[in-house]
Amino acid sequence: DALLASHRSYRSRPTHGIGRFKYLLPKEVPKRRKEKVQMKEISAGTEYQYGDINIQMTSHDLCLVEHFAQYVHRLCNRLSIRVNESYAMPTKTNEVLFLEERGSKMQLDAVLTTHQRVVQIRGLSSTFAPILLEVIQSSQPEGVHLLMKQHTEADFKSRLKARPELEELLAEMS
Amino acid sequence: SAAARRPWRLFGAMCLLRLPRITQPLEKEEEEVTALMEQIELERSLYSDHEMRKLEEEEQLKKKMESLYDEDEARGKTVIMAQDLEEKWEQKFLRFKAAPRITDADKSNDRTSLNRKLDSNLMLLVKQKIGNQELWLLPQVEWQPGETLRSTAERAMATFLGDHIQAKVLGNAPYGIYKYKFPKAIRTESNVGAKVFFFKAFLQSSDLSQAQLKADYLWVTKKELGDYLQSEYLKKVNRFLLD
Repeated sequence: DALLASHRSYRSRPTHGIGRFKYLLPKEVPKRRKEKVQMKEISAGTEYQYGDINIQMTSHDLCLVEHFAQYVHRLCNRLSIRVNESYAMPTKTNEVLFLEERGSKMQLDAVLTTHQRVVQIRGLSSTFAPILLEVIQSSQPEGVHLLMKQHTEADFKSRLKARPELEELLAEMS
Repeated sequence: SAAARRPWRLFGAMCLLRLPRITQPLEKEEEEVTALMEQIELERSLYSDHEMRKLEEEEQLKKKMESLYDEDEARGKTVIMAQDLEEKWEQKFLRFKAAPRITDADKSNDRTSLNRKLDSNLMLLVKQKIGNQELWLLPQVEWQPGETLRSTAERAMATFLGDHIQAKVLGNAPYGIYKYKFPKAIRTESNVGAKVFFFKAFLQSSDLSQAQLKADYLWVTKKELGDYLQSEYLKKVNRFLLD
């Protein structure tokens, strides 16, 4: 009798399904993969507010640009400016080739990588925007390019990878 | 009457900033921290490709010296060794000369040139006649009804520096205000005093070869402002200046 598993709730027993709880939880909607483009808000009038603004920092030095992006992000947090996203663009690698004297062969001299970090901000009031710009500009480190521009669809699309097979199929269809 | 004439006269003034071109020197603690961090990084780091190659070639050279083998020729080694590359780079580095941080204008303390103090903001000060006094002020011009205050400030800039100035005005809102009352002698019913609104602009190009209309102008840093401006004026101006 000890070999029989007497605690197992078999289907004919009244205690069948005693541990079930998943049916009590609310139904989960399956996550959609497609990302939708966000809304832009410019309210004209006395209270002029900018929509989404991208602060793009480019440099050859990775540590510097990352630390600067962190600094900008924290600064916006402290000034209670809403930061939508803070992401990195893919790095570009450039090979610097030197032309040798008295020779037509190019010799490989150096490999430079360009890194870019973007901090996206929403809800910047126009009275405060120039102050923020000045603060960021005055604390810009050496070798870092700063660019502030409004967010557009093209910027959003540049983050996505092109799908050549899909495009081929679409071209075939149409 | 259509619009009651206010007793205050309005002026728009422009604070033209030349941004710093070099970073400021590090403080003592910052220098110590950077030195420490560099040392830690050096001790923790691994060998790079170039250094590995250099070590291998040194070993091969030592072996060659000891045993005089012709193995290396048989393998077809490259002519350029890592050591030669390093020497070439060292020579190139020694040939490079960086521009001086302290320019001639600094040494001669020539306050009218833009090449002074490359690591701090420089502001434009102009000598103007107010009432019967000649004072050093930020360039200002009276506001005319029908134009925005920002365009007044731009006009002030244009009168003193010529039309083709590449300056980027920051925003439409003024940064500061200074109001003062005229001395009792000149005060009338409709002319109690004046209010000066300050705007900020960044100088984009450092080339001011265009004619300077008024002769007395200076480019000063924030600390030197005290030498030229009146105390009340200085207090209000200092409120919106970042260092």
